[in-house]
Amino acid sequence: MHAVWQKIWADLVHRRLVSLLILGTIAAAAALLTLALTTLFNLEAPYDKSHAELNGAHLWLHFKPGRVRSMDIRQIESLPQVTESTGRQFSYTTSVRFDAQRVLVSLRAISLEPPRVNRLRLLSGRFLLPEEDALLISRDLRDIYHLGAGDYLEITCADGRRVSLPIVGVVYDPMYDNYRSSLPPYIYLTQDLLASLFPDKSTWEWSLGLRLANPEEVQSVLEQIEAMRTVTFIASHTDWRDVRSSAIFDAQMAFIFLSAFSLFAILATVLIVVSIVSSTVLAQIRQIGILKAVGFTGQQVLGVYVGQYALLSLLGTVLGFLLGLWLSPLPLKTVTASLNTIYQPPFNPWTMLIVFCAVPGITMSAAAMASARGVRVNTIQAIAVGGETLLKKAFWLARLLEKAGAPMPLVLGVNDVFIKPLRSLLAGINLTLGVMGVVFGLALSDTIRVYRHNPALLGIVYDAIVTREQSSDERAQRLIGQAPGVEAFYGEYLLEAKTLDGRSLKLRAVEGSLEAFPFHILEGRFFQPDTSEALAGKGLLDWLGLSVGDSLTLILDKDDGPQATWVIVGEYPEPADAGQRLMVNLSSVRPLLKHSSPSVYYLKLAPSADAEAIRAFLSPRRESDLNFMLMEDVIPSTVIYLQIAVFMLAGILIGIAMVNILIMSLLSAQEKLRVVGILKTLGMTPWQVITMFVTTATFLGVLSIVAGVPAGLVLTRNLLNLMASFTGFGQISVTLENLAFWGLLPFTLFVSVLGSFLPARWAAKVYIVEVLRKE
Amino acid sequence: MSTLVEIRDLRKTYQTGSICFEALRGISLDVKEGDFAAIMGQSGSGKSTLLHITGGLDQPTSGSVRVGGTMLQAMSERELALFRRSQVGFVFQFFNLIENLSVQANVELPALLKSGQSRRDIHKRCAFLLERLGIADQAHKYPWELSGGQQQRVAIARALINQPALLLADEPTGNLDSASGDEVLNILRQFNQQGQTILMVTHAASAAAQADYIFFIRDGLLVDQMPGGDEKAIAQHLADLR
Repeated sequence: MHAVWQKIWADLVHRRLVSLLILGTIAAAAALLTLALTTLFNLEAPYDKSHAELNGAHLWLHFKPGRVRSMDIRQIESLPQVTESTGRQFSYTTSVRFDAQRVLVSLRAISLEPPRVNRLRLLSGRFLLPEEDALLISRDLRDIYHLGAGDYLEITCADGRRVSLPIVGVVYDPMYDNYRSSLPPYIYLTQDLLASLFPDKSTWEWSLGLRLANPEEVQSVLEQIEAMRTVTFIASHTDWRDVRSSAIFDAQMAFIFLSAFSLFAILATVLIVVSIVSSTVLAQIRQIGILKAVGFTGQQVLGVYVGQYALLSLLGTVLGFLLGLWLSPLPLKTVTASLNTIYQPPFNPWTMLIVFCAVPGITMSAAAMASARGVRVNTIQAIAVGGETLLKKAFWLARLLEKAGAPMPLVLGVNDVFIKPLRSLLAGINLTLGVMGVVFGLALSDTIRVYRHNPALLGIVYDAIVTREQSSDERAQRLIGQAPGVEAFYGEYLLEAKTLDGRSLKLRAVEGSLEAFPFHILEGRFFQPDTSEALAGKGLLDWLGLSVGDSLTLILDKDDGPQATWVIVGEYPEPADAGQRLMVNLSSVRPLLKHSSPSVYYLKLAPSADAEAIRAFLSPRRESDLNFMLMEDVIPSTVIYLQIAVFMLAGILIGIAMVNILIMSLLSAQEKLRVVGILKTLGMTPWQVITMFVTTATFLGVLSIVAGVPAGLVLTRNLLNLMASFTGFGQISVTLENLAFWGLLPFTLFVSVLGSFLPARWAAKVYIVEVLRKE
Repeated sequence: MSTLVEIRDLRKTYQTGSICFEALRGISLDVKEGDFAAIMGQSGSGKSTLLHITGGLDQPTSGSVRVGGTMLQAMSERELALFRRSQVGFVFQFFNLIENLSVQANVELPALLKSGQSRRDIHKRCAFLLERLGIADQAHKYPWELSGGQQQRVAIARALINQPALLLADEPTGNLDSASGDEVLNILRQFNQQGQTILMVTHAASAAAQADYIFFIRDGLLVDQMPGGDEKAIAQHLADLR
């Protein structure tokens, strides 16, 4: 045993550089795997932490005006599953004005003392002070309209007075939800202030937040509450799990990328280890023969090699695991930032177990497989001829190049690729993985660029939106039609609907110049006017298990509302509610619902249109209620963050590939010392030696481009479509710009040259006499 | 005949850690153009080191080596490579052929490393040499398909492809049976008779007997010199030196 350890130590010290490079590669793989697992195991944790800190409600009930009584509230609060309640909450829906914008909001009364249930988290500014006429705004208003502490909002009171009130803070509400919900942004104020603005309390809306003994029992509690009365008194509800789902959406995307790249890194590590161990064993066959001759058993020889990689993989995994833990808050950063909380994923023994089983396990298995060859070697043959069982004939391409008059170092370099086909294949696959990583990053970046320039692909087919409040639909349509620079528009009536099995969704009922808008139909066709045909978002089809051609019957507006059936004739990229929406002709809804007229209008503007001129035309006076909003950045910033993350990970893969090329060239140089010595004796100059080595790596680089680009595009397409199924977009068309594609060739060649240059230089400097003497 | 190789007070010291080993301790000798000279001595006497320095494979610690008027010790790595490529040809005990190149490719290799030569000329010269060495029919075979004697002939053809001024042979028969060894020596003799200068290291008296004269080296010093031809006398002289 002592002899085995002595040999392990001697080998590791003798091949210091190679050992360090392998250690680094294993550490990178372990770090990526740790990151992916930590993200997976903690996807929901930042929200849960924030929810727990704020003692968030599990179920929020929004009551229909005038239908709920105080005794109903008491009865709900006394349900056995309800542990705590916010008490009756008052709100009033109105619009506020700032600059030239008018936005529908919900003014919500809060107490000055922090409530027991569903506390608000201050994101910036401060909370309200006693007897202060000031406002707190929800995060949405900050993110969409860039409002913050110090800004003023103008509210038109019930008596027509206009009151300008300062914003003193931005808050996060753990139960504010915009997923399958049409809740307007929240503004918080004291109850006294609400009463002074809108004194008629009968116009106030009531709501109630409940904490449950078992947070998973939201549905059964809701059913009990609904069963309390014969009349429908709940307008809508918010389930804390839905809020959590939308909060962690970004982390889910990060997880998809991280896990894909972790698998890549693990695969690359396996390839490197197999390649290196095979090469090391081959280079040491003579030594193995001597070891066996002096009494090493087959198992001891195996122990020498597996032992080396056991040490390296354990150390590498420890380093990688620690690095992964250190970096683990990063993928969850978008979630924690949006919740304004700090979250350090806790130590998870499962993550540790998986990483410490997977990485050393795979590494040692690879080492065992490769070194089994050394165990099987015939002792006498090993001592006599070593392990130089190379390809015995020149490769046909090398012969062809030689006949074509190519310089000899080039011919020899190409020939070297095929002398050891297995190792070249492994290095080639590794480099291919790197190329795939870069193609992945480039294709993602290019696809985002294409989608940004053509938001229709995301379902954003319009340039601007107009909303109306008091104005009639006719007036709004007339004004929009006359507005300067408006080429076409269509109106939308957004209504709530339920499937027959009780699943709620939003319906877009549209009418107008639909043909003027570049709707992107993923499958099927656009619906015909004045028919009961519909388009469905991918998310809706997946959610309900439907496909194009199926019929869908919905209950409209309320539980006892009319039913209607539509035939789904196409699929479109629906940007809202994870694609779980249906788009239909307004004409198919109008006979069923009397007041179904559009309240939102989508505009197509002329290229030269002046947004300010349109805004001034539609809202010439302060009291005008047509609100114009230009569509700007439709790609969320989190996608950009992921883009950066993907490039960083691609960089790691390229780094691993470069390390592999370096190791391959280094081992090749060590094994080929005798040949290099002969070639130098025959008059090969140092530069020609370098050219020979670099040619081998460059040739592999070219092969990896040929294999890596299509494979990378397939990977990108599949991963993006996986992402798309989360978002409900449907198929995403992946693009790769020509320039980026052609840029890959020199880049990969550069990586190959860089990886092989140092070993090549070392080989070029070899001391001929020493090499020949060792013979 | 003019002097082709001029070696003056050549010294070579190897240092391994704190241990110094003097392989050559001030050797001076001349080899004239067209000569066939042999170097004899026991293992470790410094004869291979002398050959390596003469061929530009190694640098002396001090002293000078001039081959065809060129001072080797002043040359850079690249200049030494060009010198080896054009001025000298090497034949080794273990042939040192490139295993996965055909016989023809092995022979043509040094010429192909050199720019400015037409492929046709190289092919012609290769074919001529293979014919002369009696292995023309082996041109498309690989070294591992040949016998030891045939491999050494390929090595000789490779050494001569660039028509070097000096052919250096390091124990060229050391890895061959006596019949093959004799054939190789005959070939070397024939080339020498046509004007090829040869400097050969050997410890076999039969091989040294083919040379015009023999240098005897012991412990890094040139201790004697005698004419070739008489194998017995050479063997006796070598024995006396021990």
